[in-house]
Amino acid sequence: MSLLLWQGGKGCNFYKLVEHYQGIEINMGNRKTKTERGWALQGENSDIILEMKNITKVFPGVVANDRVNLEVRRGEIHGLLGENGAGKTTLMSILYGLYRPDEGEIIFDGEKRVFSSPKDAIESGIGMVHQHFMLVNKMSALNNILLGYKTPGDPLLDYEWAREKIRSIIEVYGIDAELDERVINMSVGEEQRVEILKSLFRDVKLLILDEPTSVLTPIESERLFQALKRMSEKGLTVLFITHKLREALEVTDRITVLRKGRNVGTLITKRTDEKELARLMVGREIDMKIEKKRVEAGKDVLKLENVYARNDRGLMALKGISLSVREGEILGIAGVSGNGQKELEEVIIGLRPVEKGKILFNGEDITFSSVRKRTRLGISCIPENRIETGLAPSLTIEENLILRDYESFSRNGFMEFDMIEAHAEKLVEEYGIKTPSTKAPARTLSGGNIQRLIIARELSRNPLFLIASQPTRGLDIAGIDYVRRKLISLAEEGKAILLISEDLEEIVQISDRIAVIFEGEIRGIFDRENVDIDRIGLLMSGGADN
Amino acid sequence: MRIKVERRLETPKFIYILIPLASIIASLIFVGILLFLIGVNPIDAYSTMIYRAFGTKFGVTELFVKTAPIILTGLAVSIPLRAGLWNIGAEGQLYMGAFAASFIALYLSPPPVVLPFMVIMAVLAGMMWASIPGVLKAKFELNEIISTLLLNYVAIYWVEYLVYGPMKGKEVYNFPYSDLFSDYAILPRFFGTRFHAGVIVAFILAIAIYILITRTSYGFAVKIVGANPKAAEYAGISRKKIIISTMILGGAIAGFAGMMEVSGLHMRLRAAVSPGYGYTGIPVALLARGNPLFVIMAAFLFGLLYVGGSAMQTTYGIPVAVVDVFQALVVLFIIGGDFFTRYRISFVFREASA
Repeated sequence: MSLLLWQGGKGCNFYKLVEHYQGIEINMGNRKTKTERGWALQGENSDIILEMKNITKVFPGVVANDRVNLEVRRGEIHGLLGENGAGKTTLMSILYGLYRPDEGEIIFDGEKRVFSSPKDAIESGIGMVHQHFMLVNKMSALNNILLGYKTPGDPLLDYEWAREKIRSIIEVYGIDAELDERVINMSVGEEQRVEILKSLFRDVKLLILDEPTSVLTPIESERLFQALKRMSEKGLTVLFITHKLREALEVTDRITVLRKGRNVGTLITKRTDEKELARLMVGREIDMKIEKKRVEAGKDVLKLENVYARNDRGLMALKGISLSVREGEILGIAGVSGNGQKELEEVIIGLRPVEKGKILFNGEDITFSSVRKRTRLGISCIPENRIETGLAPSLTIEENLILRDYESFSRNGFMEFDMIEAHAEKLVEEYGIKTPSTKAPARTLSGGNIQRLIIARELSRNPLFLIASQPTRGLDIAGIDYVRRKLISLAEEGKAILLISEDLEEIVQISDRIAVIFEGEIRGIFDRENVDIDRIGLLMSGGADN
Repeated sequence: MRIKVERRLETPKFIYILIPLASIIASLIFVGILLFLIGVNPIDAYSTMIYRAFGTKFGVTELFVKTAPIILTGLAVSIPLRAGLWNIGAEGQLYMGAFAASFIALYLSPPPVVLPFMVIMAVLAGMMWASIPGVLKAKFELNEIISTLLLNYVAIYWVEYLVYGPMKGKEVYNFPYSDLFSDYAILPRFFGTRFHAGVIVAFILAIAIYILITRTSYGFAVKIVGANPKAAEYAGISRKKIIISTMILGGAIAGFAGMMEVSGLHMRLRAAVSPGYGYTGIPVALLARGNPLFVIMAAFLFGLLYVGGSAMQTTYGIPVAVVDVFQALVVLFIIGGDFFTRYRISFVFREASA
């Protein structure tokens, strides 16, 4: 409960819980009549279990889903493929009752439905296994499965009945888990199986899996695929969200590809291949409106030699990364998120220890240097997670603008408030940060203005090297254009830039060279002149380069 | 009817003032009910308290004497709190300071310089005591709430052991007291009352700490760690150093409070050097939201309660423990009130159709 009063209880579990079930309602009488479980039978003969028609969902500044149609047949494994930000998760959140669509309708099991909450969706027979598991670590698998479920004889828990039911599910689908083991002692794969059991226990007809393999080892993934195939044989429908082409091809019957919030095609898996999927997923038309002058690349500014680093789970996330960024060049790192990009960013700015290998900055070994030393040497960073890492949201805009250089705004240890204010006013003007006052808390800014604030701070330091991680994520068109132009003009001044982005179009548009990262390895480096989008798309998805 | 809990996007400023005020008022009402239940008219009781604190010269100086250590413990809690840490151990740090100062005063006393020497050793003892939870938190993420709290008992019983045993005075009959300090080891007093020099120092310290945490780059670093530890690491601030240094600074101030109590008031080491000032520091820091100038104001409130509390004991036979009840209520209300900075509660009388 540290920070309780201070930051409004960031560390407090209760609030987290409330936040998780945002808009939780305490029912006091006036109870809704529950849908009877028997109703589903009416659609049993139909071939189509789920139809989503013309689903549109607009978030401020972003059209997440644009008239998407999705049709899922009973008993199939249906892949939902697309890059990050393509609208997969939004679509599934609408189906699962987390969001309401602005337009469009959902027909599930022959009945038109609007799900108002996950509870609603589960009761109708839709289960979802999230990318981040929703299990209680300190409870056994059995208790996790039973959590919130009413066994016969409620309010007493009938463990025997539950065990019997789970045993029969395990027998039918071959998804095994040690029921009495606590979740905390489980491997990620096992946790996932508990999540799946949790859904199956509730007799779902449609199971949604959100990027299920992103946390699994290859062997665990294989095991999952076997289980999914068995489920489909037994008549259960599976919706499999992924951005990995191989997996989609391996396990699904049909694949729907989303790109920029639109359905760009539903294909029969047997009649397609990696190339076609990659093209659909990434898109052919690469917009080259912004002119990037080719600057004669100078000497190496940042050099990584065979760098290894572990992720937060202790698994090796960077496996021998070697690359160099030269003066006047933008090196783009293309890849689907979760392949080591975050770790790469942290290793370079000094937040994550290097397991093996070397980092050189202008020839100086900085492998073990502190963040502060690296900042002073001229390393700037637009972090991937702007609000969590890049900002102290409760502090003012002024204070956030000096976050990384606060010591240069002090004399003899005392802060120079006049200087700080003048600095802030200059940057707000120069970078067009829209705010009524430089003394307003940073959290009052919009997403685009937060990004401007961070860019202003990082560029005003006059760095030699800049890492820009997902710099345009979540920005509107004008914001995107602004950020890209800024990066280009910085490179043209002779600065070295490492651009990490999931947006392949962005990478191709402004990078001088493109490196493709997959599972912590650089799978290929391309010069701007001979970029082959199909090949990059393939490498990003783990396809072989030949 | 349903109660709907919604997350606030923006917290209006008045909430931050309203919560402490409402907490104080609510606590006064609850204690009033408690008083009523044991047959005391709460209005009479409260007016007795006010009169006792402000009505006489003795009352006013006593108010300052009781407020001063609370200011110090309030600061000792506030500084770590700004970095997001809970120093529940000001009480123990105070006892260790009292012990160190008394040890110097009784056994190692080169007469003319004994006071400064007592101050230094008391401050060092408080720092040492606070550094234990600080280092454990920084190195092993050991919860500082528990370690600081438990170390209080170690310090309190250590002092008790000493005054019942090795440091027990020769002329104190059977009381758990040490011998009286020599005159050199006693803080100067003014106005013919118990108002001693330590009171003035406490106020100066509050202002100094205010400057430290609002004007210096160190204070800025502490603020960033408190606001967002991840952003602090990214800004090149070592979270560990801030954890340890804020704890040590808090301990130093609490240690000085201990010296001030033995040298300014008791003039000897004794059991129950403090009636719980270290714990009083917690609601004080919470009410002040970590701002040292507000700490002074909040400390006066609790100083008033201590003065008034002893008045109530003599007049109505109510135990001074009523002050503890009040303190606990303030903490509960403030922590509970925090919910309203993040969530808005609304009552929905008719359900909108889906």
